[in-house]
Amino acid sequence: DGGVIKFGHDNKADPFENPAHACTAVFANSLAAGTNGSVTVEVFGSNQLGTAAEHVQQVRDGILQATLTSTGALASYYPRIDVLNLPFAFADISSTYAVYDGPFGAALARDIEAQLGDVVVLGFPDTGGFFAVTNSKHPIAELADFDGVRIRTMTLPSHQKIMQSLGAEAYPLAWGEVYSGLQTGVIDGQMNPVPTVTFANFFEVQKYLTLTNHLFSPYTLMINRAFYEGLSDAERGVLHHAAENCVMASRGVSRVIEASDRGLAGLMDRMEITALTDAQRKAMADVAQPAFEGHIRENLDAKAVELLDLMKTEVGAANQAVYLD
Amino acid sequence: MILVLCAFVLLIAFGMPIGFAIGLAGVIGLIDMGGAQFLAVGPSKIFNGLNIFPFLAMPFFILAGEVMNDTGITARLVKLAQVLVGRFRGGLAHTNMLASVFFAGLTGSATADAAAFGRTLVPAMVAEGYRRDYACAVTAAGSIIGPTIPPSGLMVVYGSLMGVSIAGLFAAGVLPGLVICVVCMGVIAIGGNRENLPKARRGATLGEVWRTFLSSLTALAMPVIILGGILGGIVTPTEAASLAVAYALFIGTFVYRTLTLRGFYGMLVRTARITGVIFVIIAFAGILGWWMSFERIPQMIAEAVLGLSDNRYMVIAIIIGLLLAVGMVMDITAILIILAPVLVPLTEQVGLEPIHAGIIFVLALNISLMTPPVGACLFVLSSVTGERLERISIKLFPFLIAEICVLFAFAFWEDAALWLPRLLGFA
Amino acid sequence: MKSWAEKASARINAAVEAMVAFLMLALVLDVWLGVADRYFLGWQLPWPEEMARYLMIWAAMLAVSSGIARREHIGLTALIDMLPTALRRAVLIVVDLLVLALFLYVLWYGIGFANGGASRQAMILGASLRPFYAAIPVAAAIASVQIALVLMRDMGQHSEPRHEEGTA
Ligand code: NA
Ligand code: NA
Repeated sequence: DGGVIKFGHDNKADPFENPAHACTAVFANSLAAGTNGSVTVEVFGSNQLGTAAEHVQQVRDGILQATLTSTGALASYYPRIDVLNLPFAFADISSTYAVYDGPFGAALARDIEAQLGDVVVLGFPDTGGFFAVTNSKHPIAELADFDGVRIRTMTLPSHQKIMQSLGAEAYPLAWGEVYSGLQTGVIDGQMNPVPTVTFANFFEVQKYLTLTNHLFSPYTLMINRAFYEGLSDAERGVLHHAAENCVMASRGVSRVIEASDRGLAGLMDRMEITALTDAQRKAMADVAQPAFEGHIRENLDAKAVELLDLMKTEVGAANQAVYLD
Repeated sequence: MILVLCAFVLLIAFGMPIGFAIGLAGVIGLIDMGGAQFLAVGPSKIFNGLNIFPFLAMPFFILAGEVMNDTGITARLVKLAQVLVGRFRGGLAHTNMLASVFFAGLTGSATADAAAFGRTLVPAMVAEGYRRDYACAVTAAGSIIGPTIPPSGLMVVYGSLMGVSIAGLFAAGVLPGLVICVVCMGVIAIGGNRENLPKARRGATLGEVWRTFLSSLTALAMPVIILGGILGGIVTPTEAASLAVAYALFIGTFVYRTLTLRGFYGMLVRTARITGVIFVIIAFAGILGWWMSFERIPQMIAEAVLGLSDNRYMVIAIIIGLLLAVGMVMDITAILIILAPVLVPLTEQVGLEPIHAGIIFVLALNISLMTPPVGACLFVLSSVTGERLERISIKLFPFLIAEICVLFAFAFWEDAALWLPRLLGFA
Repeated sequence: MKSWAEKASARINAAVEAMVAFLMLALVLDVWLGVADRYFLGWQLPWPEEMARYLMIWAAMLAVSSGIARREHIGLTALIDMLPTALRRAVLIVVDLLVLALFLYVLWYGIGFANGGASRQAMILGASLRPFYAAIPVAAAIASVQIALVLMRDMGQHSEPRHEEGTA
């Protein structure tokens, strides 16, 4: 019994190259070992079967059994995912673990399941850490440094709102256009996790990088509900453990990549890197958070606001908590 | 799998339009998987296969070409090239090649080049005493310079599908584009006596050259404006095509005053129709490609191909051979979508730079535009001039061999292929 | 019936082409606006990029039926040119019927696809994706009608081999 989980994702199929595939590989291994081969995983990486948003549909339709998908790709099915874009929330990346593994992660998972109806959410793997802002004009340290800098964002209104609240100009631009756009000055800067800056060679066309750590955007790991309900109790137990291992692996690989030549270390002599002081970061948070919350209240429903409030509570607790204390 | 392949070959052989044959083969694949949920994938693949911003470059460059033809911009550029080299044996054939290089700076599409020259230069050559099949062959051979020298619609698609710097690919295309021009002019010169090519009855006087130059100044400013728009940070390479449209419309309306509302309506409709004809192939190829990926057929091809050899040069040769072979029977955009994700990892394994691999792909696919039986440039020329496809193909043969030699030269000689991209810091 | 089909096909096509010209014009203006916004206006409009993709899909998909009406879709005729006339016409009729079947498939599953978009939100405009996804079933419906009409119009006689003219 059990069966084959066809697992689609849109990342390069190399467990040491990116967190998504590290997660997938560990998931497959844990399941096969834990069920003695009654449940196996067949992975389709590198967008072979479509975009991340198409993967979600294919999981819902039972063509694929599992995927992990970005918040941007999930947003069209589940607009409330936008609350995760709360800017300048986390004091450290380790705070994200407690929040997404704790009551907030569980509440979010249950709400996604209720809204979609045909999936089970198994966890929130790491995509590669916090967002940084790069640009070609001048170092950004103070809030005022954002003034008039033209930043590329995804076609995602909340990202635009956040950049605008900081004083930057925000323009959506297709991913395929970003590199040459930065090179020729169509735009001055962009925001992404540090490993993406390396992967996309943005250091060739950008001079300054600021560790704003203003966003953390996890994947959502989901499985088809009918498939899930067809598993035995024992298999389901193994599945949840496998999902936890998958999430942990994505975090570990993300931190390792950040610490390697493919992270900050590799960018040190290629870009001028600025880390923010607590005061600088607070000044940014003080303008960005109200603007973002206003955006959520305007565009989403009461349930979204409820989720946002829970997230703020949980983030506050996680930021205060001391490891092993 | 055999079923799908047979259906595909039979449908195309029996005259079904290529795009529809690909679509039907894909749907047969979905049916073969069993279960209605697989059939439901089709429309999603059609929509998402086209839901890519850089694809806009194609309709915009086609539209710019339409406006340039109708307003006389193309004709002025052709005239200028003609007074410059018209006096030599086969001068107009050489002109055709050089004009393709001019034109290449303005458009990103070989079919736009073929359509433009098929309407202007081919009749001019026939009037001068060239055989029509030969004139078409020269035009076809030159048309692939368009998408080789930047801007290039195919490079935009390749770059956005494979995550390779588009600007880097643009840089890599300049040298091969110029070499193809020189080599094809060599083929014209060598075959000149055998083909008994005419020369212009008299050379142009310096005065004529000067006057022609002056009258084509506004047309010559077009590449300057487009490149200025890209390098000046006003537009992305995709949006540059919209700048081309704007400038051509401006010239047509205010300078040459040849543009009419009715004419513009026709251009919009023709552009959409050509776009629809090309895009429907892309869209249906998405279904076939999804089915192939789900059944893991690309991996099987990859293993079979890599199994033949792991020598760098053998692998490159095998990939080129595969692309050219498939390019004879499939539209190049479909090939790009289905085969690039399988073959590009192979090029990585043998240590090819992404931009080098990209330029090999682009050159091979461009050459496939004029290999029969399925070659978009051949179709365009055949329909514009009324010449038969088979006869164009025969005259095209020496050019084809020459261009394949250029392709292999750049594939095996990395320093030449990456000279300009390295100079500009892309590789 | 033949001349009726011809007229109906031409009428529908004229309407579709007017629609397509309008969409192409809107597409050109949309992209110009996006460039002007970024370079001169500074309005930071969120929608031109996404809107351009949807306009392009609508225009191109609608134009597919126009290509059918004019028999402009690229195909090979070398083999069927060699067939005896009666057999060739029969083959071409079968091919048209198969193309009709293909578009009826796209229409049927496209309706489901578009309705699925009703519960999904576009990134910008806060609108549902259904009006954009509707490009697929609407274009397939018009293409189905056109292929049926041109089948009646041509009855397999649209690809008669051209006669060789003497070489120059
Ligand atoms: Na070009
Ligand atoms: Na070909």
